[in-house]
This record gives sequence, C-alpha cells and structure tokens, in this order.
Amino acid sequence: MTIRVLIFGALAREMSCKELVVDVCAPATVRDVNMSLAAKFPHKNTFFQSARLAVNHAFAMPDAPVQPTDEVALIELVGGG
Amino acid sequence: MSVLISISQGPLSSERLLALHSASAAHAVGATVVFEGIVRANEQGRTIRALSYEAYEPMATNSLTQLANDILFKHALIAITVEHSRGEVAAGERSFRLTIDSAHRKEALAAMDEFIDRMKRDVPIWKTAIYI
Repeated sequence: MTIRVLIFGALAREMSCKELVVDVCAPATVRDVNMSLAAKFPHKNTFFQSARLAVNHAFAMPDAPVQPTDEVALIELVGGG
Repeated sequence: MSVLISISQGPLSSERLLALHSASAAHAVGATVVFEGIVRANEQGRTIRALSYEAYEPMATNSLTQLANDILFKHALIAITVEHSRGEVAAGERSFRLTIDSAHRKEALAAMDEFIDRMKRDVPIWKTAIYI
C-alpha cells in the first residue's frame, strides 16, 4: 500500500517537494514507513531511519499502525518562537 | 484555568490576547509574566531582513494546546496565552508571545522556561532566515 509523508522546513527545501511517497506491505507500522523512506533515499538513510513521524497530527510510536488514509508527517528540526 | 492558542499571519500586534475572561479568575492572579520573541536583525554575522515561519496546522495548534494544558496543571497556573506568527515577520517585529498568569511569581517563571524549551523541541513550527 502507498503512504504519503508530508515534509516541511529545511527538509522540504532540500528534497524540493512537500511530500514523499513510499510503498509498504500491509499491515504497516510507523517503523515500516521509516525503513521504506531510508531505503528509498539512501543518501539520507540514517536520518530517515530515526526521523520522528506523526500520524493524524500526533507523534506516533514505531509500533503504531499506519493506514493509507492516515495523514503522516515527518516532524524534525522544529524551532519556533 | 484557561488556555488560548493563536497562530496568525505575519507579525504580532503590540496588543496582547488574553485567555482570562472571568472576573473570578482574574482576581486570583498575583503575577503575569510575558515573554515576547522578536526577530533579530543579525544571525551569525549576517544581516536578516525577516524570518519566514511555517506551521503544520492543525498539529501545531493541537501540540500547543496540549503543552499549555500540561504546563498549566503541572505548575498550578491560572491561564496561558500563546500567540505565534506564521509567514514572514520582519526584523524588529514580534513573532511569538507567551503570557502566563498565576497566583505567584515563582511558578510562572518556571513554567515560562519549560514551555519554551518544550515548544522548540516538539511543536511543528519551522523558521527560515531571509537575508538581505
């Protein structure tokens, strides 16, 4: 199944897009999404393996399930204020 | 106890928003601590024209609300008001304001520090410097 991952800030500028798309086998977890991102973008393998993901607007644990209908976002290097 | 969160376009006005509306709550306030974040004109030796803020809404609003409620209960505060900019904010203008109302000074000052540290770690708002 296909999972879309929203990205922001410096990462979005670096990747020249606002979302990344990965394919994972169902049933999938947040950890599977991290691993698929790392495999798809080997030049940022370490970063994507441990990047914090949010599912439906809340940070999600690695074992949390992910569905194609979920809103998944990568939340790294925030710094408001 | 009350919380008010506002994320608005451009710089904040000089007029503060207030989470406190009831007279009884206002009468319990013995300290109001206000922190204002202002865009610095210089960063690492370079001159900045503005900062551009990007917020992932509604997660930013949810995260700020959750954080404010957590800090409110932990420090036994009366009210927290959070105002944050999105979009471009020129050097010298306000981009963030945190207002904490409490019965006493100590808990408000402790809460202020904790709130900002946790916001910078967990709330999905990003800023980008626009140099001259």
